[in-house]
Amino acid sequence: MPLLIIGLVFVAAIIGAIYLYNSGSGSSSSSTATSNSTAARPTPNMANAPAGAPVGVNMLGSQTAAVTVEEFADYQCGGCAAVHPVMKELASAYAGNRNFRFIFRHYPLAIPAHDKAYEAAVATEAAGLQGKFWQMQDQLFRNQAAWTANQNYRQIWSEYATNLGMDVQRFQADLAGIQTKNRVQADLERGRALGVSSTPSVFVNGKLVPFSELNINSLRRIVDAEIAAMASAQQSNSAPAANANQ
Amino acid sequence: MSEQEVPELETPGLRKLPLAAGVIALVGLADSVYLSVKHFTAEPVPCSLVEGCEKVLTSPYAEVAGVPIAAAGALAYFAAFALAVLAAYGDGRAWKMFGGLVTAMAGFSLWLIFLQAFVIGAFCQFCLISAATSLTLFLIFIASALVKKKTTLE
Repeated sequence: MPLLIIGLVFVAAIIGAIYLYNSGSGSSSSSTATSNSTAARPTPNMANAPAGAPVGVNMLGSQTAAVTVEEFADYQCGGCAAVHPVMKELASAYAGNRNFRFIFRHYPLAIPAHDKAYEAAVATEAAGLQGKFWQMQDQLFRNQAAWTANQNYRQIWSEYATNLGMDVQRFQADLAGIQTKNRVQADLERGRALGVSSTPSVFVNGKLVPFSELNINSLRRIVDAEIAAMASAQQSNSAPAANANQ
Repeated sequence: MSEQEVPELETPGLRKLPLAAGVIALVGLADSVYLSVKHFTAEPVPCSLVEGCEKVLTSPYAEVAGVPIAAAGALAYFAAFALAVLAAYGDGRAWKMFGGLVTAMAGFSLWLIFLQAFVIGAFCQFCLISAATSLTLFLIFIASALVKKKTTLE
Protein backbone atom coordinates (compact mmCIF):
# COMPACT_ATOMS: atom_id res chain seq x y z
CA MET A 1 0.00 0.00 0.00
CA PRO A 2 2.65 2.65 0.87
CA LEU A 3 4.57 1.78 -2.29
CA LEU A 4 1.40 2.20 -4.32
CA ILE A 5 0.84 5.69 -2.88
CA ILE A 6 4.47 6.64 -3.53
CA GLY A 7 4.25 5.32 -7.09
CA LEU A 8 1.03 7.23 -7.75
CA VAL A 9 2.55 10.49 -6.50
CA PHE A 10 5.64 9.89 -8.64
CA VAL A 11 3.49 9.40 -11.75
CA ALA A 12 1.35 12.44 -10.85
CA ALA A 13 4.48 14.60 -10.44
CA ILE A 14 5.83 13.51 -13.82
CA ILE A 15 2.47 14.11 -15.56
CA GLY A 16 2.15 17.50 -13.84
CA ALA A 17 5.64 18.49 -14.96
CA ILE A 18 4.96 17.44 -18.56
CA TYR A 19 1.66 19.33 -18.54
CA LEU A 20 3.30 22.49 -17.19
CA TYR A 21 6.15 22.17 -19.69
CA ASN A 22 3.82 21.83 -22.66
CA SER A 23 1.46 24.58 -21.56
CA GLY A 24 4.29 27.12 -21.56
CA SER A 25 4.93 29.32 -24.58
CA GLY A 26 7.90 28.55 -26.80
CA SER A 27 9.04 25.95 -24.34
CA SER A 28 11.05 23.64 -26.52
CA SER A 29 13.32 26.20 -28.12
CA SER A 30 14.08 28.05 -24.92
CA SER A 31 14.75 24.84 -23.06
CA THR A 32 17.34 23.89 -25.65
CA ALA A 33 18.83 27.32 -25.27
CA THR A 34 19.08 26.89 -21.51
CA SER A 35 20.77 23.54 -21.71
CA ASN A 36 23.15 24.74 -24.37
CA SER A 37 23.92 28.02 -22.76
CA THR A 38 26.92 26.83 -20.80
CA ALA A 39 28.63 25.32 -23.80
CA ALA A 40 27.65 28.06 -26.21
CA ARG A 41 28.40 30.95 -23.90
CA PRO A 42 30.83 33.22 -25.66
CA THR A 43 33.84 34.63 -23.93
CA PRO A 44 33.26 38.09 -22.47
CA ASN A 45 33.79 40.83 -24.96
CA MET A 46 32.99 44.47 -25.20
CA ALA A 47 31.60 44.47 -28.69
CA ASN A 48 28.76 46.70 -27.60
CA ALA A 49 30.99 49.33 -26.09
CA PRO A 50 33.37 51.70 -27.83
CA ALA A 51 37.10 51.02 -27.60
CA GLY A 52 38.45 51.86 -24.19
CA ALA A 53 35.11 51.61 -22.39
CA PRO A 54 34.90 49.52 -19.24
CA VAL A 55 33.89 45.95 -20.10
CA GLY A 56 30.18 45.48 -20.23
CA VAL A 57 29.14 49.10 -19.84
CA ASN A 58 26.83 50.37 -22.53
CA MET A 59 28.39 53.71 -23.28
CA LEU A 60 28.49 56.21 -26.13
CA GLY A 61 31.13 58.91 -26.27
CA SER A 62 34.50 59.45 -24.71
CA GLN A 63 35.50 57.45 -21.67
CA THR A 64 37.34 60.43 -20.23
CA ALA A 65 34.45 62.85 -20.81
CA ALA A 66 33.87 65.58 -18.25
CA VAL A 67 30.10 65.22 -18.48
CA THR A 68 28.37 61.89 -17.99
CA VAL A 69 24.69 61.43 -18.74
CA GLU A 70 23.54 58.20 -17.17
CA GLU A 71 20.07 56.84 -17.81
CA PHE A 72 18.40 54.07 -15.79
CA ALA A 73 15.52 52.58 -17.72
CA ASP A 74 13.12 49.67 -17.95
CA TYR A 75 12.00 48.36 -21.33
CA GLN A 76 8.39 47.96 -20.23
CA CYS A 77 8.13 51.46 -18.84
CA GLY A 78 6.10 53.83 -20.99
CA GLY A 79 7.99 56.91 -19.79
CA CYS A 80 11.29 55.29 -20.77
CA ALA A 81 10.01 54.57 -24.28
CA ALA A 82 8.84 58.20 -24.50
CA VAL A 83 12.21 59.52 -23.34
CA HIS A 84 14.18 57.14 -25.57
CA PRO A 85 14.09 59.39 -28.70
CA VAL A 86 15.17 62.33 -26.53
CA MET A 87 18.20 60.42 -25.24
CA LYS A 88 19.04 59.33 -28.78
CA GLU A 89 18.85 62.91 -29.97
CA LEU A 90 21.01 64.06 -27.06
CA ALA A 91 23.66 61.43 -27.77
CA SER A 92 23.76 62.32 -31.46
CA ALA A 93 23.84 66.05 -30.68
CA TYR A 94 27.06 65.53 -28.72
CA ALA A 95 28.50 62.78 -30.90
CA GLY A 96 32.20 63.45 -31.35
CA ASN A 97 32.31 65.85 -28.39
CA ARG A 98 35.08 64.55 -26.17
CA ASN A 99 33.46 66.20 -23.14
CA PHE A 100 30.32 64.10 -23.38
CA ARG A 101 29.38 60.51 -22.77
CA PHE A 102 26.08 58.70 -22.41
CA ILE A 103 25.72 55.53 -20.35
CA PHE A 104 22.60 53.40 -20.49
CA ARG A 105 21.83 51.32 -17.40
CA HIS A 106 19.28 48.59 -17.00
CA TYR A 107 16.84 49.11 -14.20
CA PRO A 108 14.04 46.59 -14.74
CA LEU A 109 11.42 47.15 -12.06
CA ALA A 110 10.31 44.03 -10.22
CA ILE A 111 6.60 44.69 -10.50
CA PRO A 112 3.96 42.38 -11.99
CA ALA A 113 3.13 44.78 -14.85
CA HIS A 114 6.77 44.63 -15.92
CA ASP A 115 6.99 40.87 -16.09
CA LYS A 116 9.25 40.90 -19.16
CA ALA A 117 11.40 43.91 -18.27
CA TYR A 118 14.23 41.91 -16.74
CA GLU A 119 14.34 39.49 -19.64
CA ALA A 120 14.20 42.38 -22.10
CA ALA A 121 17.26 43.89 -20.44
CA VAL A 122 18.99 40.53 -20.73
CA ALA A 123 17.96 40.39 -24.42
CA THR A 124 19.69 43.66 -25.18
CA GLU A 125 22.81 42.37 -23.43
CA ALA A 126 22.59 39.20 -25.51
CA ALA A 127 22.41 41.42 -28.60
CA GLY A 128 25.35 43.37 -27.21
CA LEU A 129 27.47 40.23 -27.28
CA GLN A 130 27.02 40.40 -31.04
CA GLY A 131 27.69 44.13 -31.18
CA LYS A 132 24.04 45.07 -31.52
CA PHE A 133 23.19 46.43 -28.09
CA TRP A 134 22.05 49.89 -29.20
CA GLN A 135 20.13 48.52 -32.16
CA MET A 136 18.23 46.02 -30.01
CA GLN A 137 17.64 48.64 -27.32
CA ASP A 138 16.16 50.88 -30.01
CA GLN A 139 13.95 48.06 -31.32
CA LEU A 140 12.61 47.20 -27.88
CA PHE A 141 11.75 50.79 -27.01
CA ARG A 142 10.28 51.67 -30.40
CA ASN A 143 8.17 48.53 -30.56
CA GLN A 144 7.32 48.36 -26.86
CA ALA A 145 3.57 48.12 -27.52
CA ALA A 146 4.05 45.20 -29.92
CA TRP A 147 5.74 42.81 -27.47
CA THR A 148 4.99 44.03 -23.96
CA ALA A 149 1.68 42.18 -23.63
CA ASN A 150 2.39 39.47 -26.18
CA GLN A 151 2.88 35.90 -24.98
CA ASN A 152 5.17 35.23 -27.95
CA TYR A 153 7.47 38.09 -27.04
CA ARG A 154 10.56 35.91 -27.33
CA GLN A 155 9.66 35.07 -30.87
CA ILE A 156 9.20 38.78 -31.61
CA TRP A 157 12.62 39.55 -30.14
CA SER A 158 14.14 36.78 -32.23
CA GLU A 159 12.60 38.45 -35.29
CA TYR A 160 14.27 41.71 -34.30
CA ALA A 161 17.53 39.79 -33.92
CA THR A 162 17.07 38.32 -37.42
CA ASN A 163 16.34 41.77 -38.83
CA LEU A 164 19.49 43.10 -37.19
CA GLY A 165 21.51 40.37 -38.91
CA MET A 166 22.29 38.55 -35.69
CA ASP A 167 22.94 34.86 -35.10
CA VAL A 168 19.52 34.07 -33.60
CA GLN A 169 20.50 30.75 -32.05
CA ARG A 170 23.38 32.36 -30.25
CA PHE A 171 21.10 35.23 -29.20
CA GLN A 172 18.62 32.77 -27.67
CA ALA A 173 21.39 30.88 -25.89
CA ASP A 174 22.82 34.13 -24.49
CA LEU A 175 19.34 35.22 -23.44
CA ALA A 176 19.17 32.16 -21.21
CA GLY A 177 22.78 32.44 -20.05
CA ILE A 178 24.23 33.80 -16.84
CA GLN A 179 26.76 36.22 -18.33
CA THR A 180 24.12 38.57 -19.72
CA LYS A 181 22.17 38.45 -16.47
CA ASN A 182 25.24 39.39 -14.49
CA ARG A 183 25.55 42.50 -16.64
CA VAL A 184 21.96 43.50 -15.89
CA GLN A 185 22.57 42.74 -12.24
CA ALA A 186 25.59 45.04 -12.14
CA ASP A 187 23.50 47.93 -13.50
CA LEU A 188 20.71 47.21 -11.03
CA GLU A 189 23.19 47.31 -8.17
CA ARG A 190 24.59 50.62 -9.35
CA GLY A 191 21.06 52.03 -9.62
CA ARG A 192 20.27 50.90 -6.13
CA ALA A 193 23.47 52.45 -4.83
CA LEU A 194 22.41 55.76 -6.41
CA GLY A 195 18.95 55.46 -4.86
CA VAL A 196 17.05 55.01 -8.12
CA SER A 197 13.43 54.28 -7.27
CA SER A 198 11.63 54.88 -10.55
CA THR A 199 12.32 54.87 -14.27
CA PRO A 200 13.43 56.67 -16.29
CA SER A 201 16.00 58.20 -13.95
CA VAL A 202 18.58 60.34 -15.69
CA PHE A 203 21.66 61.67 -13.93
CA VAL A 204 23.97 64.32 -15.29
CA ASN A 205 27.29 64.05 -13.47
CA GLY A 206 25.53 62.29 -10.64
CA LYS A 207 22.73 64.84 -10.27
CA LEU A 208 19.22 63.55 -10.87
CA VAL A 209 17.35 65.42 -13.61
CA PRO A 210 13.64 65.87 -12.77
CA PHE A 211 11.30 63.96 -15.09
CA SER A 212 9.76 67.24 -16.31
CA GLU A 213 13.19 68.28 -17.61
CA LEU A 214 13.69 65.16 -19.70
CA ASN A 215 13.30 66.99 -23.00
CA ILE A 216 16.00 67.83 -25.48
CA ASN A 217 16.15 71.57 -24.74
CA SER A 218 16.43 71.18 -20.96
CA LEU A 219 18.93 68.34 -21.23
CA ARG A 220 21.13 70.28 -23.66
CA ARG A 221 21.02 73.29 -21.36
CA ILE A 222 22.02 71.14 -18.37
CA VAL A 223 24.80 69.39 -20.29
CA ASP A 224 26.13 72.69 -21.69
CA ALA A 225 26.09 74.19 -18.21
CA GLU A 226 28.06 71.22 -16.88
CA ILE A 227 30.60 71.44 -19.70
CA ALA A 228 30.98 75.19 -19.04
CA ALA A 229 31.33 74.60 -15.29
CA MET A 230 34.00 71.96 -15.89
CA ALA A 231 35.86 74.28 -18.28
CA SER A 232 35.85 77.19 -15.83
CA ALA A 233 36.91 74.89 -12.97
CA GLN A 234 39.83 73.69 -15.07
CA GLN A 235 40.76 77.30 -15.90
CA SER A 236 40.69 78.37 -12.27
CA ASN A 237 42.76 75.30 -11.34
CA SER A 238 45.40 76.05 -13.93
CA ALA A 239 45.45 79.81 -13.22
CA PRO A 240 47.19 79.63 -9.80
CA ALA A 241 49.67 77.19 -11.23
CA ALA A 242 50.37 79.63 -14.07
CA ASN A 243 50.76 82.47 -11.56
CA ALA A 244 53.14 80.42 -9.47
CA ASN A 245 55.32 79.82 -12.49
CA GLN A 246 55.64 83.51 -13.20
CA MET B 1 18.18 -2.32 16.10
CA SER B 2 15.25 -0.79 14.35
CA GLU B 3 12.95 -2.82 16.58
CA GLN B 4 13.45 -0.24 19.29
CA GLU B 5 12.33 2.61 17.08
CA VAL B 6 9.14 1.01 15.86
CA PRO B 7 7.06 1.53 19.01
CA GLU B 8 7.15 5.34 18.69
CA LEU B 9 5.29 5.06 15.40
CA GLU B 10 2.79 2.61 16.76
CA THR B 11 1.55 5.21 19.21
CA PRO B 12 -1.68 6.53 17.61
CA GLY B 13 -0.60 10.18 17.94
CA LEU B 14 2.70 9.58 16.21
CA ARG B 15 1.31 8.16 13.03
CA LYS B 16 -0.39 11.43 12.36
CA LEU B 17 2.93 13.25 12.25
CA PRO B 18 4.34 11.25 9.29
CA LEU B 19 0.99 11.66 7.56
CA ALA B 20 1.05 15.41 8.09
CA ALA B 21 4.67 15.41 6.89
CA GLY B 22 3.59 13.53 3.75
CA VAL B 23 0.98 16.17 2.95
CA ILE B 24 3.42 19.05 3.54
CA ALA B 25 6.04 17.27 1.39
CA LEU B 26 3.46 17.10 -1.42
CA VAL B 27 3.05 20.89 -1.26
CA GLY B 28 6.84 21.28 -1.46
CA LEU B 29 6.99 18.77 -4.32
CA ALA B 30 4.35 20.63 -6.36
CA ASP B 31 6.10 23.95 -5.72
CA SER B 32 9.55 22.72 -6.73
CA VAL B 33 8.26 20.85 -9.79
CA TYR B 34 6.60 24.09 -10.90
CA LEU B 35 9.83 26.07 -10.38
CA SER B 36 11.92 23.43 -12.15
CA VAL B 37 9.69 23.47 -15.22
CA LYS B 38 9.70 27.28 -15.29
CA HIS B 39 13.47 27.17 -15.06
CA PHE B 40 13.78 24.87 -18.04
CA THR B 41 11.29 26.82 -20.14
CA ALA B 42 12.92 30.10 -19.03
CA GLU B 43 9.47 31.56 -18.48
CA PRO B 44 8.75 34.38 -16.06
CA VAL B 45 7.24 33.27 -12.77
CA PRO B 46 4.32 35.27 -11.36
CA CYS B 47 5.47 37.50 -8.55
CA SER B 48 2.63 39.18 -6.69
CA LEU B 49 3.35 39.08 -2.96
CA VAL B 50 7.01 40.00 -3.00
CA GLU B 51 9.32 41.69 -5.48
CA GLY B 52 12.16 40.26 -7.49
CA CYS B 53 11.12 36.68 -8.33
CA GLU B 54 12.88 36.82 -11.68
CA LYS B 55 15.99 38.18 -10.10
CA VAL B 56 16.13 35.31 -7.64
CA LEU B 57 15.23 32.60 -10.13
CA THR B 58 17.67 33.78 -12.77
CA SER B 59 20.49 34.53 -10.34
CA PRO B 60 23.68 32.48 -10.52
CA TYR B 61 22.51 30.77 -7.31
CA ALA B 62 19.47 29.27 -9.04
CA GLU B 63 21.58 26.48 -10.45
CA VAL B 64 24.57 24.45 -9.37
CA ALA B 65 26.70 22.94 -12.14
CA GLY B 66 23.86 23.42 -14.62
CA VAL B 67 21.29 21.70 -12.41
CA PRO B 68 18.51 23.98 -11.20
CA ILE B 69 18.28 23.75 -7.42
CA ALA B 70 14.50 23.62 -7.84
CA ALA B 71 14.94 20.22 -9.54
CA ALA B 72 17.13 19.00 -6.68
CA GLY B 73 14.41 20.28 -4.36
CA ALA B 74 11.76 18.29 -6.22
CA LEU B 75 13.81 15.10 -5.76
CA ALA B 76 14.31 15.87 -2.07
CA TYR B 77 10.60 16.52 -1.51
CA PHE B 78 9.70 13.33 -3.32
CA ALA B 79 12.14 11.38 -1.15
CA ALA B 80 10.75 13.08 1.97
CA PHE B 81 7.22 12.20 0.89
CA ALA B 82 8.13 8.56 0.23
CA LEU B 83 9.89 8.24 3.59
CA ALA B 84 6.99 9.91 5.41
CA VAL B 85 4.49 7.50 3.80
CA LEU B 86 6.64 4.51 4.77
CA ALA B 87 6.90 5.88 8.30
CA ALA B 88 3.15 6.42 8.50
CA TYR B 89 2.82 2.69 7.81
CA GLY B 90 5.12 1.89 10.70
CA ASP B 91 8.63 1.90 9.24
CA GLY B 92 10.78 3.41 11.99
CA ARG B 93 13.97 3.40 9.95
CA ALA B 94 12.27 5.44 7.22
CA TRP B 95 11.32 8.05 9.80
CA LYS B 96 14.94 8.31 10.95
CA MET B 97 16.07 8.78 7.36
CA PHE B 98 13.27 11.32 6.94
CA GLY B 99 14.71 13.20 9.92
CA GLY B 100 18.18 13.31 8.39
CA LEU B 101 16.84 14.44 5.04
CA VAL B 102 14.58 17.22 6.33
CA THR B 103 17.31 18.51 8.63
CA ALA B 104 19.56 18.93 5.58
CA MET B 105 16.70 20.47 3.60
CA ALA B 106 15.88 22.95 6.36
CA GLY B 107 19.54 23.92 6.65
CA PHE B 108 19.77 24.45 2.91
CA SER B 109 16.56 26.50 2.96
CA LEU B 110 17.99 28.79 5.61
CA TRP B 111 21.04 29.30 3.39
CA LEU B 112 18.76 30.15 0.44
CA ILE B 113 16.80 32.63 2.54
CA PHE B 114 20.08 34.22 3.56
CA LEU B 115 21.11 34.47 -0.12
CA GLN B 116 17.81 36.09 -1.05
CA ALA B 117 17.92 38.57 1.82
CA PHE B 118 21.56 39.59 1.85
CA VAL B 119 23.20 38.61 -1.43
CA ILE B 120 20.55 38.84 -4.16
CA GLY B 121 18.48 41.43 -2.31
CA ALA B 122 15.16 40.11 -3.58
CA PHE B 123 12.67 37.45 -2.62
CA CYS B 124 10.72 34.96 -4.67
CA GLN B 125 7.44 33.80 -3.19
CA PHE B 126 7.69 30.27 -4.58
CA CYS B 127 11.14 29.93 -3.04
CA LEU B 128 9.72 31.15 0.27
CA ILE B 129 6.94 28.54 0.06
CA SER B 130 9.60 25.89 -0.38
CA ALA B 131 11.53 27.23 2.58
CA ALA B 132 8.35 27.20 4.67
CA THR B 133 7.53 23.61 3.75
CA SER B 134 11.01 22.28 4.44
CA LEU B 135 11.17 24.10 7.79
CA THR B 136 7.71 22.71 8.65
CA LEU B 137 8.89 19.19 7.81
CA PHE B 138 11.86 19.72 10.11
CA LEU B 139 9.58 20.99 12.91
CA ILE B 140 7.32 17.95 12.48
CA PHE B 141 10.32 15.69 12.89
CA ILE B 142 11.46 17.61 15.99
CA ALA B 143 7.90 17.34 17.39
CA SER B 144 7.94 13.58 16.86
CA ALA B 145 11.30 13.31 18.62
CA LEU B 146 9.95 15.34 21.57
CA VAL B 147 6.80 13.21 21.79
CA LYS B 148 8.97 10.10 21.74
CA LYS B 149 11.15 11.47 24.52
CA LYS B 150 8.07 12.31 26.58
CA THR B 151 6.51 8.86 26.14
CA THR B 152 9.83 7.21 26.98
CA LEU B 153 10.06 9.21 30.19
CA GLU B 154 6.49 8.33 31.17
